[in-house]
Amino acid sequence: MTMKLTEGAIEAFTKGTEVSNPLLQVVNIRRIEGGAGPARFRLMMSDGLYTMSSFMLSTQLNPMAEQNLLAPNCICLLKKNVTNTLKDGRRVVIILDVEVVKSAEEVGGKIGDPTPYVEGQTKPQPSAPTPAVQPLQPRSGHEANTNRGPSRDFGKKSLPAPTPSTPGGSSKVVPIASLNPYQSKWTIRARVTNKSSIRTWSNSRGDGKLFSMEIVDETGEIRVTAFNQEVDKFFTLIEPGKVYYISKGSLKIANKQYTSLKNDYEMTLNGESTIIPCEDSQDVPMVQCDFVSIADLESRDKDAIIDVIGVCKSVDEVSRITTKNNREVSKRTVNLMDMSGKVVTVTLWGEEAEKFDGSGQPILAIKGARLSDFGGRSLSALFSSTVMVNPDIPEAYKLRGWYDKEGHALDGQSVTEMKAGGGGGGNTNWKTLTDIKNEHLGHGEKADYFSCVATVVYLRKENCLYQACPTQDCNKKVVDQHNGMFRCEKCDREFPDFKYRLILSVNIADYGDNQWVTCFQESAESILHHKADSLGKLKESNETAFDEVFQQANFNTYNFRIRVKLETYNDESRIKATVMDLQPVDHKDYSRRLIASIRKLAAQ
Amino acid sequence: MASVYEVPKTRINTSMLAQYINRPVCFVGRVQKVHPTGKSFTLLDGEGKPASVELSEPLDEELSGIVEVIGMVSNKATLMATTYSIYREDKGTLFDLEVYNEALKVVHDFPQYYPFELSASG
Repeated sequence: MTMKLTEGAIEAFTKGTEVSNPLLQVVNIRRIEGGAGPARFRLMMSDGLYTMSSFMLSTQLNPMAEQNLLAPNCICLLKKNVTNTLKDGRRVVIILDVEVVKSAEEVGGKIGDPTPYVEGQTKPQPSAPTPAVQPLQPRSGHEANTNRGPSRDFGKKSLPAPTPSTPGGSSKVVPIASLNPYQSKWTIRARVTNKSSIRTWSNSRGDGKLFSMEIVDETGEIRVTAFNQEVDKFFTLIEPGKVYYISKGSLKIANKQYTSLKNDYEMTLNGESTIIPCEDSQDVPMVQCDFVSIADLESRDKDAIIDVIGVCKSVDEVSRITTKNNREVSKRTVNLMDMSGKVVTVTLWGEEAEKFDGSGQPILAIKGARLSDFGGRSLSALFSSTVMVNPDIPEAYKLRGWYDKEGHALDGQSVTEMKAGGGGGGNTNWKTLTDIKNEHLGHGEKADYFSCVATVVYLRKENCLYQACPTQDCNKKVVDQHNGMFRCEKCDREFPDFKYRLILSVNIADYGDNQWVTCFQESAESILHHKADSLGKLKESNETAFDEVFQQANFNTYNFRIRVKLETYNDESRIKATVMDLQPVDHKDYSRRLIASIRKLAAQ
Repeated sequence: MASVYEVPKTRINTSMLAQYINRPVCFVGRVQKVHPTGKSFTLLDGEGKPASVELSEPLDEELSGIVEVIGMVSNKATLMATTYSIYREDKGTLFDLEVYNEALKVVHDFPQYYPFELSASG
């Protein structure tokens, strides 16, 4: 069975008229390397009569070309396209959606004898089909009907979905997905989902200001940046959540470093750009989010930009930190849980951190958060992220319903390991010492971290103190030069003194097992209730009192935060356990956890 | 009968009182009110349910906060106190009656793992 191409479509395209769903044959396809951006595909298409070489495949369709689905000779149905007119009057057809109706193999060859279309030149009217076209068309009755219409009037056809008219009527409204650097006259109708504050810069080349926003329509999203005069012109006009007609911005390849949006381009407003509010905005979507389940975060790459939604289970207080370039910023960490029952720690910064109110366990959605592998998996809201509290989207209502019904009772296992987890609530990975062996903790590529309640049963007091370099951040062991000087190899210096540091081996036990763990300075000091230097002096002056310190340290119970990792020395592998932190046991918390575990076990 | 000091005393809450009539028990609750005579007082358990405690001698001190009572359960499902002790709340963490009540239920729900009463028959 052969197919009849939509004759006359090429002519219509060249004249800039719209053609709906034409059936065309691919004559040639060429890959154009796009410098920094993704490659683009340029196609030559035929309608059986004429060919036109200025078809561009929109980048989201690149896989079709890469997988050779779109190959010379194949017949395809153009389901969605936009025609752009270049400054010199040439027209480029951007293919937004296409379906291969017949593969290249099935077609086998070129249909008809198409020639490049030149305006003014007319071929014999297709109403009297030329034999050149005919041989491939056995006239089956079924085909006959559709073949009737070579004289169809394409010029009057409009797109299936009526496009809203543009104020001023200068250019028609196009979808965001069709925007590209090769066109200049267009208008989009889009909703602002995120608007930054004004940022200023000052460097050797001068200073200036900018703000950016993110906009969406039903086809996609794009980041828009305004500089200097455009900031003055548009900043106050733009309100997040509202819909605007935007026309004539400059498009360039998106710098993925600054944006998480799914668009290969970004827009810069220029002197010719206009932004007009649009009142009738019902049909323009709100935010486009592609939420990732918290349980799936572990399988995502570090630094991935993702969207996440969760119930704000708990919130920390705002804290002020100083960044590397000496700027002081506010930060706040929030624990989010979703229907996967997993919890992740999200860090909010700046204004978002200050104004965030976690009371009443709101739903928090973050678009464009960066995934970090800091402490397992954690998220950080970026300057470009959109943080939404109780957003008006279906996912939020679904999550709220789930949480109120069953989610609130879940403990929620965190994919983020807390650094100071000793007293921490439900965010710690509680284990017993038996679990270390049973679950092969530390055998993975990365070290495992867990918390446990255990009791000190033995301390190895031999070699627990060493003489370290007195420089503040250097803890390297010094070599006694036996001339009153101590040498640090790392600092390459000699000092008249040293500081004592602790490295203490402790045997801890719980109901099922015991484990040798190593405690460094702070944790060793906590266990011994003595500072390293006083302990060092005690050792030199009063051996009995020194021994007494170790006796007293026995049989105390703590919440330990432990890091385990399988380490190999001389072909012998053994689990090395290091105490990261220890805290007194919070008995209420511990009791609650035990009761919950018992109930959970009983229910199995 | 042996003194309550020498036999195991089951920890119970208000709703279990009726099942332990004429048996030695241990009851922990928060003092709700003390009778003007000083010979009885009411404790609220972790579920907020009241239990009355009767003393053989009037109280000689003020009673408030969390109190543990050891005694027998009467036919009227009240506690006949042999002795009591006040849990001091002025130092350290406060006693959490609700968590205590949850733990108590665990003990009763899984007697095979908490065989505290076994020696009572001996």
